[in-house]
Amino acid sequence: MSTTAALLYEAVEVGQALPSLRKRVTVEQIRAYAEASADRNPIHLDEGFARSVGLPGVIAHGMLTMAFANQMVTDWLGDRSRLKRLDGRFGGMVQPGDEVTCTGTVARNDEAARRVIVNLVVTNQRGEKVLTKGVAEAEFPKNEPLK
Amino acid sequence: MTDQRLVGRTYETQPFDVTEQSIRAYMDAVGDTRSSDPLEAPPTYAMVYGYDAYWQLWSDHEVAMDVARLVHGDQRFTFHRPVRPGDRIRTTGRLANVTVRGEMELVTFEANARDDQGQPVSESTSLFIIRKP
Repeated sequence: MSTTAALLYEAVEVGQALPSLRKRVTVEQIRAYAEASADRNPIHLDEGFARSVGLPGVIAHGMLTMAFANQMVTDWLGDRSRLKRLDGRFGGMVQPGDEVTCTGTVARNDEAARRVIVNLVVTNQRGEKVLTKGVAEAEFPKNEPLK
Repeated sequence: MTDQRLVGRTYETQPFDVTEQSIRAYMDAVGDTRSSDPLEAPPTYAMVYGYDAYWQLWSDHEVAMDVARLVHGDQRFTFHRPVRPGDRIRTTGRLANVTVRGEMELVTFEANARDDQGQPVSESTSLFIIRKP
């Protein structure tokens, strides 16, 4: 994707839904994440090992799910440097073949600080929450350039 | 069970030299490939430049965490500035807390990342859950 124009603070309203982001997680993506992050714990890579420690099979890194939530917010902001805080609880395991959907809603804003708080959740194809208590906080520039 | 006396132990990483190649590998892996000029890493790339601090915790024989039974329970980040190719980042990890809840052990780990000017880049608090066999 190409560079997009950054969101204007004035365009943000409390209660507004962010454009959702859907991702299908594959074995290949989990392997690529393991390589890019250096986190090669075999619970993410070795099916037999994962089962031997009581998991249903290999699971995605929690931080891959959080990266999806990160992307949804920064795609909306149009500028990665505006994201100041990102929190979440990993409420469920993500396995290869799962399709997860990130959704977010503007919870409140702080006019003086030009900050916006977004509540986030990531669900799988069965509607189960795999990331809960998600919160993102963004800060907008004090003097935005006029387009 | 992790010895409570180890709470407070810290782990220093070597400087992590951020490259365009490393940022792009991360972006490709997570599927967040929107370009920017200058190139800025997705904020969650904090897990990449700070990874060695986590690795030192997980491989600390005295702490002796059973990483095969480790799941990431909760994660919080504060981002102070964007990360770009050419940045040199050091991360200090700290074993902040260890508690037991039922059959599980809960380990809280903090990671503070600073640039080569000593300025803050990001802060992270992770909760790791060690499932019992």
